[in-house]
Amino acid sequence: MNIVLAILLGLLVPYGIRVAIGPSVWDRLLGMNLIASKIIIIIMVYASMNGATFLLDFAIIYALSGFIGTIFIALFLSERSIRKGRGKKE
Amino acid sequence: MIYILSYIIIGLGILFMLFGVIGLFQRKRDFYYRILIACKVDTVGMITIGIGMALRHGISFFTGKIFLILLIIVVLNPFVAHIVTQAAYKSGFISVYKRKDGDA
Repeated sequence: MNIVLAILLGLLVPYGIRVAIGPSVWDRLLGMNLIASKIIIIIMVYASMNGATFLLDFAIIYALSGFIGTIFIALFLSERSIRKGRGKKE
Repeated sequence: MIYILSYIIIGLGILFMLFGVIGLFQRKRDFYYRILIACKVDTVGMITIGIGMALRHGISFFTGKIFLILLIIVVLNPFVAHIVTQAAYKSGFISVYKRKDGDA
């Protein structure tokens, strides 16, 4: 199980690179969303290794809040670029 | 026996996630391709690892919580990817192939 945890932690690096070099701001948002969902899996694997059931509550809460945060960042970004006149007005 | 099966399933989930990383770093692709690949493979990887986890612990509170997390992820992950893509499209982020000057 430590190998699984190591691979998952190693997986965070490519997503970090994607956030760093992402040409557009949307790529960065995508990278952040992926990192957030990866952390949920890492918590799950760690909880399964130690048999700690209470850790899974953190994973549930983090899953909800991570996704909600990404949603609001996306809405903010789209409003900002529409206000700059680049987007389509409904 | 169950332990070996769960290890195989977890390994499969990890394999799916590694494929997702490959899809994320394509040369000639832009944002819309990446978010399609990343979201789909991410969800599949999570489901596979979740089932592998559930097998390790049999019927218990642990498995119940894992399936609750899986439910949240299966519902929310595509939903968020859709919202991000729609926000990008509505705010005028034209994909590289449709642009005349072709800047990223």
